[in-house]
Amino acid sequence: MNKIIEVNRLSKSFGKVKAVNDISFYVEEGSLFSFLGTNGAGKSTTISILLTLLKQDQGIVSVNGYTVGKHDLAIRQEIGVVFQESLLDPLLTVIENLTIRGSFYGMSKLERNDAIIRVMDVVDIQSISNRPYGKLSGGQRRRVDIARALIHKPNILILDEPTTGLDPQSRKNIWETILQLQGTTGMTVFLTTHYIEEAAGSDYVVVMKEGRIVAKGTPEQLKNEYSTDLLTISTNMENELRSALVENGVKFKDEKSLFYLPLEHTKDAIRILEEFTPYISSFEVKKSSLDDVFIAINGKVVDQDDGIRKT
Amino acid sequence: MMAFAKRNVLLYFRDKTTVFFSLLAVIILIVLYVLFLGEMTFKGLPDFPSKKALLTAWFIAGILAVTSMTTTLGSFGILVEDRANKTYMDFYSSPITRMRLVGGYIISAAFVGFIMCMFTLLASNVFLFISGETALSFRKLLEAGGSIFLSVLASGSMVLLLVSFFKTSNAFAAASTVIGTLLGFLAGIYIPIGGLPDYIQAVVKLFPVSHSAALFRQLLMDDLLLDAFSKSPAEMKQAFKIDMGILYEINGRQTSKLFSVLYLCFTTLLFFGLSLLVMKRKNK
Repeated sequence: MNKIIEVNRLSKSFGKVKAVNDISFYVEEGSLFSFLGTNGAGKSTTISILLTLLKQDQGIVSVNGYTVGKHDLAIRQEIGVVFQESLLDPLLTVIENLTIRGSFYGMSKLERNDAIIRVMDVVDIQSISNRPYGKLSGGQRRRVDIARALIHKPNILILDEPTTGLDPQSRKNIWETILQLQGTTGMTVFLTTHYIEEAAGSDYVVVMKEGRIVAKGTPEQLKNEYSTDLLTISTNMENELRSALVENGVKFKDEKSLFYLPLEHTKDAIRILEEFTPYISSFEVKKSSLDDVFIAINGKVVDQDDGIRKT
Repeated sequence: MMAFAKRNVLLYFRDKTTVFFSLLAVIILIVLYVLFLGEMTFKGLPDFPSKKALLTAWFIAGILAVTSMTTTLGSFGILVEDRANKTYMDFYSSPITRMRLVGGYIISAAFVGFIMCMFTLLASNVFLFISGETALSFRKLLEAGGSIFLSVLASGSMVLLLVSFFKTSNAFAAASTVIGTLLGFLAGIYIPIGGLPDYIQAVVKLFPVSHSAALFRQLLMDDLLLDAFSKSPAEMKQAFKIDMGILYEINGRQTSKLFSVLYLCFTTLLFFGLSLLVMKRKNK
């Protein structure tokens, strides 16, 4: 696979604050890449550098073969962005907003009109094309934002927390649109999000904390490394169950009538449940999630080139 | 760049409060003039033929100079808002150079200023016609149109330098209020420039808006002055012109129409140059 984005030893400081501290990663062409981290982790700074909005202090960033700082206009042609905030003009209609933004990409009037029809069709906003952007609902605005980002057929779509502030139904709809887009066009999608479950379908995930990369890998790799499936057993025979588990060398934590058993493999739950059936009132098996990974990532750093390393 | 300029023009005219506030200084001036300023100035002048018509033309000229500044200021408010709302991030992440974006703001501000001043000029002409005064001829209107264009460019370049320092809409709104108030003095409407102390006059003459006002006054009052001072000594006419800011005395020499035009051209280039320097430094 071709590396469409390459970030090599990137650093950026604001005064004495190191917003991004010597990070390296790459994004494969056509993949869904997720960039996670809490507020202040350095995600926005990294994205701003990728978008050529900020100049890095150190490091090399390349986008589809173009180098940030040298080929900025070419990079902007490669990328479409959906910003966290709505940045289109509220007083202009959807079609006016798209026409004006389309004019930035050197398209002829005819090409621009075709592009507007195409993107409105992709995100299904024809019915609201003559309404002022400021009068649209949050979900509708996001669709228009996506249309704006796609107007020049970019190779990379950067989504900066695209579903923040939306209701669950709108979030679902926006995600269906994004995934459908990626599926049909093979576009590379670079996502930052606070909703960790949205990153679960990613091909690759990078987690940042305090300006550094603290974890990276596929969601499966991260789950295996940082969290486990969990069997929760509820019982009326606490002492008996505790003795039986200790006797059989099963790891657990207990809290009153609840026993928490980490599982190496989900299937291990079947054996344990069969073995301790007499003591069990009810049970629940919970698959490990990226949420668990996110919470678990503390006090760990990652080797920039070779993957995760515990310290 | 033209599509971007069109966007700014659309945003200006669709936001009724922006249009209103960019004309507020002018509205206040008109109200004050109708209430007492007009009568005060009228009584303060000696009697001569066509006195009322001369004063009306003098006031219209001042209003045009102020409008050229306040409307470009209102239009450049969109730049400040784009900065405050981070809308610029959307522009800067597109393959359009910053210079072209700035060009779009300048074109739109010049267009807005020109249209609003032309509207003011035509409305004034209608007022002159209705009130029984001699309306401006087509040739005068064309000449005034050219002066409006120059005046708008000079005001726009100064405002561009000013807005490059503002990051929030609130700070810009506060500054606009102060500027709107000051303009009445700089254009010599509240008090004719001859009534100001010499050192204040010297400061006022530095501002391009005072030369816009002088240029408009020379254009709109020329014919009326001939009639008003036909039987008076030439010195009296010159003294009136200097007192009322129709022309200025700088280093003992009287300015002319050409001087006003050249001064406006010079300040336009100066302030555009300074604005570009400031923007380049900020982009580093």
